[in-house]
Amino acid sequence: MISQLLKEATPSFAWWRNPEQWRTELFAGLVGAVLVIPQGITFAYLAGMQPEYGLYCAIFVTLFASVLGTSSMMSGPNTAVAILIGTAVLPLAGRGSPVYVDFVFLLCMMVGLIQLLFWLLRAGRIFQYISPAAISGISAGAGFLIVMTSLDSILGLSTFSTTFFYEKLYVIASDAVDLISPYSLGIGLCTIAAGYLGRRYSPRYFLLIAVCVGYLSGLLVAFIWPQPVTELEYLGRMPLQWLPFNVPTVNREYLMISTKLFPFAMAIAFIGLAQSLVIVRELKMGTDQDINLDKEVYAQGLANFLAPFFSSFAGAGSFNRTKVNQRLGARTPLSGIAASGFVLVLITLLGPVLTYMPMAAMAGTLFIVGADMIKWLDIKHYAQVRSELIIYLATFVSIMFFGLATGVVAAVVLSVSVFMLRISQLELKLEEMPSGTVVRIKGALFFASISQLTEEFHRRVDEDLTVDLQYTTHIDQSAVDFFSREAAQMAVRGKQLVLLVNARQLQFLNSMGLSGQVKLESLQDSVSNEIY
Amino acid sequence: MAKLNIFVVLLLLLQMSVVHAQQPQPQNQPTIEQLLQEPFLDDYYSNVVHGYEIITNSQKHASRYVGNALNCTTCHLQAGTQKDALPLNVAGMYPKWRAKNGKRNGIGLRIRECFLYSMDGIMPPEDAPEVLAIAAYISYLSQGQVMGVEPEGRGVPTLQDTGYDPNPANGRLVYMEQCASCHGEQGDGSGDVPPVWGLDSYNSGAGMNRIQEAAGFIWANMPLGNGRSLTHQQALDVSAYLNLQLRPADPGQSKFLKLLEDFLN
Repeated sequence: MISQLLKEATPSFAWWRNPEQWRTELFAGLVGAVLVIPQGITFAYLAGMQPEYGLYCAIFVTLFASVLGTSSMMSGPNTAVAILIGTAVLPLAGRGSPVYVDFVFLLCMMVGLIQLLFWLLRAGRIFQYISPAAISGISAGAGFLIVMTSLDSILGLSTFSTTFFYEKLYVIASDAVDLISPYSLGIGLCTIAAGYLGRRYSPRYFLLIAVCVGYLSGLLVAFIWPQPVTELEYLGRMPLQWLPFNVPTVNREYLMISTKLFPFAMAIAFIGLAQSLVIVRELKMGTDQDINLDKEVYAQGLANFLAPFFSSFAGAGSFNRTKVNQRLGARTPLSGIAASGFVLVLITLLGPVLTYMPMAAMAGTLFIVGADMIKWLDIKHYAQVRSELIIYLATFVSIMFFGLATGVVAAVVLSVSVFMLRISQLELKLEEMPSGTVVRIKGALFFASISQLTEEFHRRVDEDLTVDLQYTTHIDQSAVDFFSREAAQMAVRGKQLVLLVNARQLQFLNSMGLSGQVKLESLQDSVSNEIY
Repeated sequence: MAKLNIFVVLLLLLQMSVVHAQQPQPQNQPTIEQLLQEPFLDDYYSNVVHGYEIITNSQKHASRYVGNALNCTTCHLQAGTQKDALPLNVAGMYPKWRAKNGKRNGIGLRIRECFLYSMDGIMPPEDAPEVLAIAAYISYLSQGQVMGVEPEGRGVPTLQDTGYDPNPANGRLVYMEQCASCHGEQGDGSGDVPPVWGLDSYNSGAGMNRIQEAAGFIWANMPLGNGRSLTHQQALDVSAYLNLQLRPADPGQSKFLKLLEDFLN
């Protein structure tokens, strides 16, 4: 056990062995780096942090997750994680103040520890019970939140929050002339228009086109109107370091605060792993990469735990960047490692230029990213199955109205309960035979599904019953007790209960102490072998 | 009569108690040094400390919005606590109307304009953490001041009319004699000494670029540690000399020049 854990905990560097793949990986890394820079900056804004922390996240979380991981998944700043960090820490300290930054680092360390605990408990499997519809719903809800937040910067409002999103829209609409800054609205609209037009010509680089057009329109505005008039918000100079070491503050008072942060740390750890593992599982199914899911859980956990030591906040796998990465032919973690290196080089070169990047242009690209996350096709896709549609819509609507944390809880509760309803459903097939009624049971026979069988039994009190258990996947103690009880009652009425079982079930039922009033008939093993 | 006397005594007592209650309680708030020692601060005091750090080391803590080599404390001497050197205990004076931008300024806008002009940088947004931290520090320093009343030693002293125009040529002589040893013959400063002109100094829109204002500051505080040693006329002359030097353009006026400068920098 321990040797297996140690094996998972050490990076494998399997990509070292096929150098012919390196060129592709490095190019994919470069594109990933170009894509992650605007995302890092804007997600830092969502998390309430200064932009440099988002870039550090794009460098170090990506680096650690790729070095330790086994897949070509691109980790780094993630929307849902960033929004949840903001929701968790904003009530405790002023946005962006030193205490706020300390609390964020504390929260991220907790997230990392919880994810490492998931790894030690081998709990990565529980994410298989989260329905894909729930993940899509969370993604769409996060997209909606992003669009709403990006409005702040596009319209040049100072951040203000309302209980529900429609109140914000109402306030903006009712006082548009006073609230909206025409300069930032102009820049934002140029950015969004360029993004949607650019997508027609270059579906890969349209975000880059949007950012460039936004930047140029910002320069144009700065050329015509002076800053005291426009009061435009710029990105500003980022005090970037190559190795931003930082020791997170942990003391008694901070541990008190950590109890308040704990539910959010759980939610972030959960949603981060859920997204990463969905991506990894898709990669595992779609490609021939040698992927170890437990190792990925470990990589995510350790990357998030180490993030505060390098002045960055927690991250997770990114759907859009992984997709681009895959399209460019990346197959190994080298692309992620390369991406983090290129981010470092690019921001060192671009730093002075980025200073005059208007926030409205950043928000414009954020708007496009957010709008893309709400996929209307998904609703059509999930509409085929009612329960999936309900999960998707309930998640989306509860995120719209009650925030991301509540939405995540709703998604988990709903998909687990759908799963439980599904599994406790027995498929009963009744056949009238000369010897009496034969009930064929398909499914798992356990405490939750027995009531269904009870109803069937009580409807046929005056018949001999034969129960065919050969398609039953699981039998537990309460099912054995149920058969003994029913057989006793039927014996009083002079009826007989027969169970058709295979060899293994025969052995099991006898060992569980099935009463002698139940008659067991063993089937040939050839039948049962097909099932098991 | 006796009854009336008692009544009067009671009334007096009552009045005394009311007067006593109205007197401002001497606030013994912790000093910055004490706050820096604390392991854990609440939101207000942590913000105050952050504001103090920004004032004393703007290059490090407010680098996002600073465009030159100055710190706030370059002009607001002793972290904004020295009288006659633009002290920062002015929370009670805002909001007020200022001719500079022709509107009512809250303390926030005042701080943001400092970044734009004196620090030759970018105007931070209203809710920037840096702005809020400096505002908290200003409130902290203003403890005990009466709202709406000018604190003692506010701004810089106004020099009386000397009867002569400021003379930059004479100012140059004074500068070379008294100031150049620290600020450099090219005015570019060194180490902790701030540059007084050139692209790393305040821009032409800053308050320091007004002859009267700079002269008052120079007369009261310069040479550092030996303030009030120059005559009024000498201070005015030096101020006029500084005013003739090359410095970043006023962001309110020459937009094209400003844009060019920003990219050169």
